[in-house]
Amino acid sequence: MTQFKRRDILKGIGGLAGLSLMGAGSLRTALAQGMASDEAWKQASGTTIQFISENTPPTTAIAANLASFQELTGITVNITEMQLGALVQKVALDFGAGRSSFDVIYADPYQVLAPYHRGLVDLNRFINDDQQPVVPKGIEDFIPTQLAAAGRFEDRESLYTLPYDCPTMIWIYRRDLFEKYRDQMRQDLGFDPMPSDSTTWEQYYQIAEWFSNGNASEVKYGTGHQAQQYDSLMCDFSNVLFAYGGDYFANGQQVGLLGTDAPGACQLTSDAALEAARFYQNLLKVAHPGSTSWDWTGVANAFQNGEFAMMPEWHEFAGSLESSDLQGKIGYAPLPKGPARSSNLWGGTGIGINANASAEKQKAAWLFLVWATSPQTQLMGLKSTVGGGTPTRQSVYDMPEVKAASTPPTDMPNMLTADTMLTAWQDDYIGLRPKIAQWNEVDTVIFTELSKMLAGQMSPEETMQSAKQRIDRIVGA
Amino acid sequence: MMSPALFLLALITLVPFFSIIWMSFNDVSLMGGLAFEFSGLDNWQRVFTDPDIRSSWLISLVYFLATVGLEMVIGTVMALLVYSLTRGSNIIISLLLIPMFIAPVIVGLLGRFMLDPSHGLYAWMLNESGLFDGNILGSVGSAMVAVILMDVWEWTPLVALIVLAGLTSVPEDVLEAAEMDGARYGQKLLYIILPSISNILLVALLIRAMDAIRFFAIIFITTNGGPADSTKIIPIRLYDIAFRFFDLGYAAAVGITMLVFSIMVATAFTKLLKRQEKAS
Repeated sequence: MTQFKRRDILKGIGGLAGLSLMGAGSLRTALAQGMASDEAWKQASGTTIQFISENTPPTTAIAANLASFQELTGITVNITEMQLGALVQKVALDFGAGRSSFDVIYADPYQVLAPYHRGLVDLNRFINDDQQPVVPKGIEDFIPTQLAAAGRFEDRESLYTLPYDCPTMIWIYRRDLFEKYRDQMRQDLGFDPMPSDSTTWEQYYQIAEWFSNGNASEVKYGTGHQAQQYDSLMCDFSNVLFAYGGDYFANGQQVGLLGTDAPGACQLTSDAALEAARFYQNLLKVAHPGSTSWDWTGVANAFQNGEFAMMPEWHEFAGSLESSDLQGKIGYAPLPKGPARSSNLWGGTGIGINANASAEKQKAAWLFLVWATSPQTQLMGLKSTVGGGTPTRQSVYDMPEVKAASTPPTDMPNMLTADTMLTAWQDDYIGLRPKIAQWNEVDTVIFTELSKMLAGQMSPEETMQSAKQRIDRIVGA
Repeated sequence: MMSPALFLLALITLVPFFSIIWMSFNDVSLMGGLAFEFSGLDNWQRVFTDPDIRSSWLISLVYFLATVGLEMVIGTVMALLVYSLTRGSNIIISLLLIPMFIAPVIVGLLGRFMLDPSHGLYAWMLNESGLFDGNILGSVGSAMVAVILMDVWEWTPLVALIVLAGLTSVPEDVLEAAEMDGARYGQKLLYIILPSISNILLVALLIRAMDAIRFFAIIFITTNGGPADSTKIIPIRLYDIAFRFFDLGYAAAVGITMLVFSIMVATAFTKLLKRQEKAS
């Protein structure tokens, strides 16, 4: 019955704990040595900037360590944290008013970057400015797919944000149960159930059904899903859609990676998309019945409570799960493959600078961006006891202490997913939803129509047809 | 002396009001500063032809009738029971009023927790008793019943409190006379008590009706309008249009239709009240 409140509770005592992890002085030295002179870091001293962010683990860790940034730069950062929906409203209204109530913006690629990229500063201006501290190890150090998906829009020249967090959907399963029943499952199902590169969604279905048939006393069902009529349902379905070779728009991977203002006609009535919809409907029939009322937190809570044996879930839940009774009993793998590939939906975000901010505040904001996404700060986030996500830079994964943390026991539980993640972020594995200005409306159509399908009100064919008609109307195709 | 205050009041109510009317005839863009592009009656045409809006109004109507109806009946019964108590009524009233002091968002969170199919107490009780073994918030019919009952749980005490206040105005001498004439409780209720509190019942009805039209938080927290749009009442739809899609011109048009509906309901109740007053 434990809920995911650990971070919330610890947040209040975060400042002291965070500072004790990495003293302000040592961080300052590391950054100064790795980037530029002290003068460059002090150029906006005395400035106060506002950072608006979703209430995510990386921001919790950043908030706990702000004192070190303030000592390094003399800049005061006020952080406002809230749910993503509320954040998008505030940012949109800020842009609408032509103001800069917030100087640093947590710019979700789909809800902020795509519709409002013109309101963000092109960061090349600072990257190419000799007077500014360089981005440590260059922007090439960011995982390439994340840099493009989180930071760019329409072309590979402009860069609006630096990758800040990177939740990605993977296959999280009860390794203890899979090992215990491995032989029995292999005998009953005719294949090795242990997740591997060759495991398919059809096999995932069979494993789910095997558990749901009462073959393991530890769990009631095989699989659980985040299939509430909400964004989570679109995320859950997208993994299957892409795996089966379907997509929302033509040239989908490109539309997801760079985004577009003109995505063209919706492709949800393709044979591959229809097949994906049929499979997803069947999969949910053998899933835990609670799935249709769970978002990502709900399904993680139920998994933690031992309701089912596996789930597609955001990898950053590993931290919470590894702090629960399930510690050491969980396995992580890329999601199963379909006829086309394995697809692991990426849900990362970058941080950018409000173009309406004054020149002085933009400079201060840039210093904050460099610091917040630096390898040192990401390592600090990994070690933080108050939050911390997973790094968006390759160099952090290459650090010996981080590599060592990818096997238990570890004090960086999110790193238990590291091998899986480095696979999931490869071009052939990453799943990217369309980066278009009308995404919120399109997203709503997708999860609403899917919800009707799961409620038995529409067939997969009717669902995809209806979604296509509505989406075409929204994007003007 | 009142002019500055009146002027200020007019400024903060009329300016937004007329702005919203103007917005409803425009496409509104937020990028690069607020910009209006005149679109004539396009938004209004959408309001009256959009099947999603029609569906949301229908769901709202069901929700409105169910919540207000149940709250009025149960609230009146509760008030009559408490009024009939000779001892301990103050404690009972205090306990009864607790739900309405809880923020609707918290009621939603509590409801979601209690109805969760994996660890919810109510879900477990219903399942064990054999009354319902499905996913309450994840199934089309039961989700609607659940959000209606959450609202009823929270706001019935308000109706009870208002009716209880009204009951103190029932003439005791008339009740005693009826009793001496051998009137049964049902007869007293029907011919003396209810007619005496009819005005206060109308006031309670008006207050709850106004609230029910703009009901939002519990559904937003528990079902977000789902499953299959089965709980997507018009305020949830309006929220999506305004604050998720930022289609502010269309949202203004939808918002104005809600306002007109509220005014119509309020006017109807006010007329009824006046008629009652004249009759009495």
